[in-house]
Amino acid sequence: MSKSLGKTPYIAALLLIFCGVGALFFTGISEDSAYFLNVAEAHAMTPDKLKDARLFGTVAENMLARSADGHTTTFLLEDKDTPATTMPVLYSGVTPDTFKAGAEVIIEGSLAGDGVFHAKTIMTKCPSKYKKENRKS
Amino acid sequence: MYTLAFTLLCATLALSVFGGLFSLAALGRPAGASRNPRLAEAIGLVITLLLTAASGILTRALFISDFSVTYVASYTDLALPVFYKLTAFWAGQAGSLLFWAFSVSLCGTIFQLSSSYAHLSAATRHWYWVFYLAVMGFFGLLLCAWSNPFLLSPVTPPDGSGLNPLLQNPGMIFHPPLLFLGYGGFTIPACLALAQALSGTRDRGEPSWGVVSRPFTMSAWALLSAGIILGAWWAYMELGWGGYWAWDPVENASLIPWLVATAALHTLIIETRRGKLRAANIFLICLTTLSAFFATYLVRSGVVQSVHAFGSDGVGTPLLLFVLVGTVFCACVARIGRDVRARSLAGLESREGFLVMTAWLLILLAAIILVATMWPVFSSWFGKSIGLKADFYNRVCMPLFAGLVALLAVCPWLRWDGGLRDRLLFVLVLGVFAGSMAGLWYFEYRLPTPVLGAAAGTAVLAGMVLLCLKSGVSRFTLSVCGIHAGVALMAIAIAFSGPYKTEKDLILKAGEKDTVGPYTVTLQKLFVGEGPGFDYLEGQLLVSRDGKKVGILAPQRRIYDKWHSMQFAEASTLFSLGDEIYASLLAVDTQNNVQFRVSLNPFVNWLWIGGALLSLLPFLILGTRRAAQKKEDN
Repeated sequence: MSKSLGKTPYIAALLLIFCGVGALFFTGISEDSAYFLNVAEAHAMTPDKLKDARLFGTVAENMLARSADGHTTTFLLEDKDTPATTMPVLYSGVTPDTFKAGAEVIIEGSLAGDGVFHAKTIMTKCPSKYKKENRKS
Repeated sequence: MYTLAFTLLCATLALSVFGGLFSLAALGRPAGASRNPRLAEAIGLVITLLLTAASGILTRALFISDFSVTYVASYTDLALPVFYKLTAFWAGQAGSLLFWAFSVSLCGTIFQLSSSYAHLSAATRHWYWVFYLAVMGFFGLLLCAWSNPFLLSPVTPPDGSGLNPLLQNPGMIFHPPLLFLGYGGFTIPACLALAQALSGTRDRGEPSWGVVSRPFTMSAWALLSAGIILGAWWAYMELGWGGYWAWDPVENASLIPWLVATAALHTLIIETRRGKLRAANIFLICLTTLSAFFATYLVRSGVVQSVHAFGSDGVGTPLLLFVLVGTVFCACVARIGRDVRARSLAGLESREGFLVMTAWLLILLAAIILVATMWPVFSSWFGKSIGLKADFYNRVCMPLFAGLVALLAVCPWLRWDGGLRDRLLFVLVLGVFAGSMAGLWYFEYRLPTPVLGAAAGTAVLAGMVLLCLKSGVSRFTLSVCGIHAGVALMAIAIAFSGPYKTEKDLILKAGEKDTVGPYTVTLQKLFVGEGPGFDYLEGQLLVSRDGKKVGILAPQRRIYDKWHSMQFAEASTLFSLGDEIYASLLAVDTQNNVQFRVSLNPFVNWLWIGGALLSLLPFLILGTRRAAQKKEDN
């Protein structure tokens, strides 16, 4: 039995696991991270820092446009707390089902030189409040 | 009526505080501690009645569509089918908390009336009530102060807001209650563990909490597993992006309690069979319950941005305080409850050692996921908020999961003290592992972590079959082997359907075709139609391979009558145990060019099959005590 070794194998195993996981963890932090920002915070950063960022906000009511072939969407992303602060966004691709004016979205992408945020991914918030839009009829 | 309901909630809080303090006081008096806690027991029953009544009132309000209650108006409308009206109970935060509190109180009453409770000493019982009533009191506080489901609107709207069609789906309806039943089910074992640690009567013949509360731990674990898997299934089938897990903060929040619970289940085996790790188990079971509250904190406090996070209502801070204080407190009690006479653990290459390593990996995973999910918060203390994307979790967590499956392949073949139980069969299992690795390599599957995970999973499956053959097919063996076979199936499914998924966006006119992997996809026709409550656009895709028809996919885009401005994609799948073909209709332009997203998901259905095994089989052995266990122990 390993009675004579006692706790040593356990400690060794634990250290080994920690080292391995630690290496993965730190690689991941450097390669798989992105700034998580509100629109206001994004404006406060220099464009070179926004090469890979995730932005949170609301789709503005107006200025939502799609190209003729439907593949490109442009809109204004409003800051959730200060709607006056906005950022133009360009997205190529199909928007999620629940994407519309007024929806809360999370977008990932980078800020181009012209001040437009090129989004690679758009996620819309889960319809938890289940609130219907204004009943018009 | 609703003021009454609110009063019931306040009464829950008041009685809990009173009962808890009373029990605490009784413990302070030597005579009090040896008498049965009749008052606390009565209060426990009353609380269950109060919460049942409050739940009944809410259910009735939902059933009759009483829109004067803000909660009812927010989540239902007149046109909603009755089933969805009733299950809107847990559609929002306040109702979910009430449901959670109600299920804990039910568990508490079931336990209180059981014979196991009757075998506990008076001291343990007093302490149990102190902790149980503390938890119920906390629920009462949350419900009264910040999360009252019975708030009334000043003006009663003529109709409610209704339930988003995405959520009108059986998967989404059962997902929340399963999760809350899972979270809540661990409360009884945790309170009992703390109670036994402080009463000190465990070593005087009282059955241990792990054995007594096993039905609760097993069923709670099964229900929590089912809830998580159901959520993943819903995401895959309903959301149209063809994935089942996005490492979103709210998803992670539900996984953390599951990981801790699984660790606790396995270290509990060491305690029941070998009498060790007493303090660790007390702490782990408490951590399971506390992490469930933390999960609620993550989802409801708005601390981390997420597609699911539902914003802050004030419950955030109390929840966080409860978790932090609770963690420190339970750690201290666990230390008090340690067994100073326990033998030290057997060596690393024994079943004890492997179970401990299993628990380590699970806890490490929970810690990593916790830290990573909270990274935006932690990093914001030192500068700009930085978050971690899905790739991070896949990079760091997948190897650990693969390692878990590898441990599982070996562990059953080790003896408790060390050494192999059956050398021949173990070598067979190793052979299956090596053969799988070689086979995968040969078929060009070369990514290290998925290959390791899949090979280990195959070895586990072989091992489970061999174990059943060796030990004989009893209910216990079948169930345990089946559960772990389920784990292996899920591991294999994830190893293939994650990294080896093929996805392609196709743009087709009617009659045109394109290829996805080895399959040819032809758009046969595009047409519109009407369903109950919605209009749809459907594209029929003929899928063939090597000239032979495989099947027809019919993805739709729907517009629901009450949700005009949103379109909903209904994905269509061709079921297969191999490559499941998945299609969603994304867009159509004015020239009738249709954009489809077609994906090939290898082995994805084994995820649901394995998940079903995992969630259902524990119920076969809820209370079973094994005499045959002794035969195995050496």
